[in-house]
Amino acid sequence: MPNERLDNLVRTGGLKVEAPNAGEIAGLVHSGIVRLNDAKNAGLSLESRFDPACNAAHALSLAALRIAGYRAENRYIVFQCLRHTLEFPNEKWRVLDQAHRKRNVAEYEGAVDIDENLVEALIRVAEEVRAHVSAIRAENSPFRRGDR
Amino acid sequence: MAGALFTSTQQRVLALLFGQPRRDFFVTEIIDLVGMGRGTVQRELARLAESGLAVASLTGNRKYYRANPDSPLFGEICGIVRKTVGVEESVRDALQPMADGLVLALLYGSIAQGTDTAASDIDVLLVSDALTLEAAYGALAPVEELLGRRVNPTIYTTDEYRRRRAAKSGFLTQVLGGPVVVLAGSLDAE
Repeated sequence: MPNERLDNLVRTGGLKVEAPNAGEIAGLVHSGIVRLNDAKNAGLSLESRFDPACNAAHALSLAALRIAGYRAENRYIVFQCLRHTLEFPNEKWRVLDQAHRKRNVAEYEGAVDIDENLVEALIRVAEEVRAHVSAIRAENSPFRRGDR
Repeated sequence: MAGALFTSTQQRVLALLFGQPRRDFFVTEIIDLVGMGRGTVQRELARLAESGLAVASLTGNRKYYRANPDSPLFGEICGIVRKTVGVEESVRDALQPMADGLVLALLYGSIAQGTDTAASDIDVLLVSDALTLEAAYGALAPVEELLGRRVNPTIYTTDEYRRRRAAKSGFLTQVLGGPVVVLAGSLDAE
């Protein structure tokens, strides 16, 4: 399913065209769901929830991009592409973008300073990505009831 | 307040040129960002260039404008823009609809230090028990569009703010240890 705006990103070098691979997509979605559940564990510290939440957001957003038939050259583009893959408004993908930028800073500078609001928003938006991706996969499934 | 001094086209053009005074703006870009008629904007730009407040330059067939740092009014206009239609005022305006839920709103980082460049992000710290990060991004989107810069909101609950402030270490301590511009509320509001 070619997408004009994603094709523009292919031309500028941010994305590559690559046919969807069902096994890879299933793996990304599975990994995303498992990590998202870890992130929702209120018994853990904020820092311990932040990491799996970031990984979940990335795996699920990448799944959306792979379903569309593209692969990203870097992490941040995956989130920007949610505008086009899932028609997410600015305020939603920016939450994921901020989380990854903060995680990068944390990894390089060793200082982790994560706030509740970011973790909660990250989980909310990642959950929404999951719901959209699941809906698209159900619609594309060859086992969909209506197709029989 | 800005309306008493400048027409709405002037406000928007000045906000761009003097809001990021070290940056060149391509004419078409200015017209897009200002969101007004091509003729109106071009007349304004020509007037600014004639008066020496702005300088025009040509690269290939592209025309650029920038604030003129050699104009005797340069510093004053930068100041007027900052206080009326620039970053401070734009962020304050954008947050106005959610003022009830805001305990504190401030700018920190390069903007507050006055060392920001065209590429600098606008760092905003908010203290609120009602606001979500998505809502903050939504509210601040028009500022990003108007100024052509990223706005990064961080939100603390009042409880987090109190704890982090008392801890005297970490990110909040760094922020409050540097220059900040308080847009709403007060640092001691709890």
